[in-house]
Amino acid sequence: MQGSDRFAAFRSPVGRMVPLVAMGLIWQAVSATKLIDPSFLPSPLRIGHAMVDLLTGREICDNLFVTLARAAIGLALGSAAGVWLGLMMARSPKFRAYAAPIVGGTYSLPKSALIPLFILWFGIGTATTVCAVFLSCLLPMVVNTFQGVASTPRVLVWGAQALGARPREMLWQVFLPHALPDILTGLRVALGFSFVLAISSEMIASTNGIGKLIFMYGENGAYDYMFAAIACVVVVAFVIDRLLLLLTQKCLRWHESATERGPA
Amino acid sequence: MRAVTDEKAIVPKIQIQAVSKSYPGDKNPVLALRTVDLSINEGEFVSIVGPSGCGKSTLLYVLGGFLEADGKVLVDGKAIQGPGTDRGVVFQEYALFPWLTVRNNILYGLERGALAPEERARIADRLIGVIGLKGFEDRYPRELSGGMKQRVAIARTLACDPAILLLDEPFGALDAQTREVMQDELLRIWLETRKTVLMITHDVNEAVYLSNRICVMSARPGQIVEEFKIDLDRTIPRERLFTSDAFNKTRNEVWISVRQQALAAEKLNARV
Amino acid sequence: MEREPSKRALQIRSVISVLVIVVLWETAARAGLASPLFLPAFTAVMAEWWTVCADGSLPADLLTSLFRAFAGLFAATLIGVGLGIAMARSRLVHWIFDPVIALAFPSPKIAFLPIFILWFGIYSTSKILLVAFACVFPIVIGTYAAASAINRVWIWSAYSLGTSNLTLLFRIVLPAAWPRIFAALRVALPVSLITTFTAEMVGGGGGMGAALMYSQRFFESPTVFAYILTMLVVGLLLDAIMLRIQTAFPAWHSNA
Repeated sequence: MQGSDRFAAFRSPVGRMVPLVAMGLIWQAVSATKLIDPSFLPSPLRIGHAMVDLLTGREICDNLFVTLARAAIGLALGSAAGVWLGLMMARSPKFRAYAAPIVGGTYSLPKSALIPLFILWFGIGTATTVCAVFLSCLLPMVVNTFQGVASTPRVLVWGAQALGARPREMLWQVFLPHALPDILTGLRVALGFSFVLAISSEMIASTNGIGKLIFMYGENGAYDYMFAAIACVVVVAFVIDRLLLLLTQKCLRWHESATERGPA
Repeated sequence: MRAVTDEKAIVPKIQIQAVSKSYPGDKNPVLALRTVDLSINEGEFVSIVGPSGCGKSTLLYVLGGFLEADGKVLVDGKAIQGPGTDRGVVFQEYALFPWLTVRNNILYGLERGALAPEERARIADRLIGVIGLKGFEDRYPRELSGGMKQRVAIARTLACDPAILLLDEPFGALDAQTREVMQDELLRIWLETRKTVLMITHDVNEAVYLSNRICVMSARPGQIVEEFKIDLDRTIPRERLFTSDAFNKTRNEVWISVRQQALAAEKLNARV
Repeated sequence: MEREPSKRALQIRSVISVLVIVVLWETAARAGLASPLFLPAFTAVMAEWWTVCADGSLPADLLTSLFRAFAGLFAATLIGVGLGIAMARSRLVHWIFDPVIALAFPSPKIAFLPIFILWFGIYSTSKILLVAFACVFPIVIGTYAAASAINRVWIWSAYSLGTSNLTLLFRIVLPAAWPRIFAALRVALPVSLITTFTAEMVGGGGGMGAALMYSQRFFESPTVFAYILTMLVVGLLLDAIMLRIQTAFPAWHSNA
């Protein structure tokens, strides 16, 4: 248990890649035996080939861009509205009383259930996707902002007041900074939702976007392209999530959790 | 009702008149303070001691303008309107803004004033020197020890140059050694500035060591039951003062008074 | 500062809030502000809800969906808890699975739906496996965090008392990690529902989601609303049950 140095190589960035590479190699070996119909499980080489093909063409970039733009608009609107609602709920008991049953009732509703409704209202296309993303991002932001603002210690509020802070300043100088860690946690959840909802809603009701593209490859039997497009989604989602984590760490250098995440 | 006087010096700095405060309880409201009267003159250092939960912090919060209560609270003869920069507050929990560095915490209150930026920076630098935190200006509160945090909290309050200091068990969360160092620093600052101070504490030694006057508060509902005037030579060092007969005599008197209230509180709690 | 209103006043406001929405909805629909295609009257939706309940179609769809969601969640729990504990107890297992989980956790699992349809068809098998795939990551991560946070002294003292590995697992590791595992399950439950409904909406093959899309395609708006309201109530009820279980066993609170 003590000789942790022996494992240092395994924990290096390269060492961490080894299992992924090994799994790819095993997958390739299994495909080479042709025990499994290659059209059902294309080999990594074929998927890689399809991916190069996709990345050099415009199809995947254009559709990915459309999806990301829809997700980003929905996420931005949903987060802004969610922070505002959460703040209002935390600061005004009256507003909270009216909003609580609506937030509580819609929180556990699977938001994709509303896609058919949006199709009825807005037809097929961007508006439906953006609305679905908006609603799915709104609720985690409301709940997390509310928690962060409502948990502001009263001495912090009083301390600011005693130093002359006016009510309007309290918002930006006390409540929102205190809620920032919770807001960023909510943002990470909302980011995940925004991908899920954008892709599901494109699969159901869109003529373009990466969700539609994946589905079309599947229906046309172009499975190596389907796998390659899904791999692209996985990588993009991973990279954006990591970027948000980095931003979070940068914003929360002052927070207690910063010590656990490494030196500030 | 209010006596109008031309001579300002006669008006006490702080007047607390028949202040009562109750909190909503499970069934009936809980009375935390009952008709408390207290006057503090300019430049006085007054401590309130009493059993825990007796409402002494509540009194400080009312005076700070954070809680509303029945009765009158006057500063310089005028009723207070909520919190204000004329009354600087130091909380037991430090209440530093964790997202601001040491320097920015100290600058926070100054930024609302009319001072030029260079003047603010000068004041902040001087205070950082006074509290001995040179080299820590750009650290966040989470990187500081409890004693260092409380020093920043005191500096932040002093930066606004309030006429009154309200201290809510300021050293209650510190270890014994740090507490003594901080008490000496507070005494030094008070001797220099002669601000009007109201301190809440449960440490009798601390109260006797620092104050001109000690008010002992009863168990809930809190009332001031006894007052002690302290007349000790503040210039002699701690070791000699603590071993002197004068100090110990006063200390024992206060301690017995507080102990009576604490025992009464125990009985009250046991019945509940 | 606003004074905190009494509990009673808050409850009354909550009821008012819901009533206002229903009344606004009903009057907007009755007054013809929106075409019944876009917004059928609340009463019409309720009448439709009763019809689809009475003819057995909605209960059947609901049972299908719930079966898929729970079967997937169950599989995810078995795999997730097992893998999470294995990762906490063995560096090798951790080394092998950590990068896969790190990569897959933030990815939108619904994007894998076409693969599951390709391999397992459009009916229950593909849905259950996709649900399991979507739910397994939060459970693994929750269990791993819980199992690696167990006080090492407990494990050492258990070993020094001659406890076998299997007893250790069931008597020490699982009970100690349980509060956080349960918290992860509470996260995974709505994931299982949303994945089931969405997969049914996209891929068909019966269940609530497929029925919802079917009614939308034929512009049967009251049915669309009836199904959505049912999903809302089911989501609320299941979360309330999880919360009730958590409060009934205070030790199951993750912050206990």
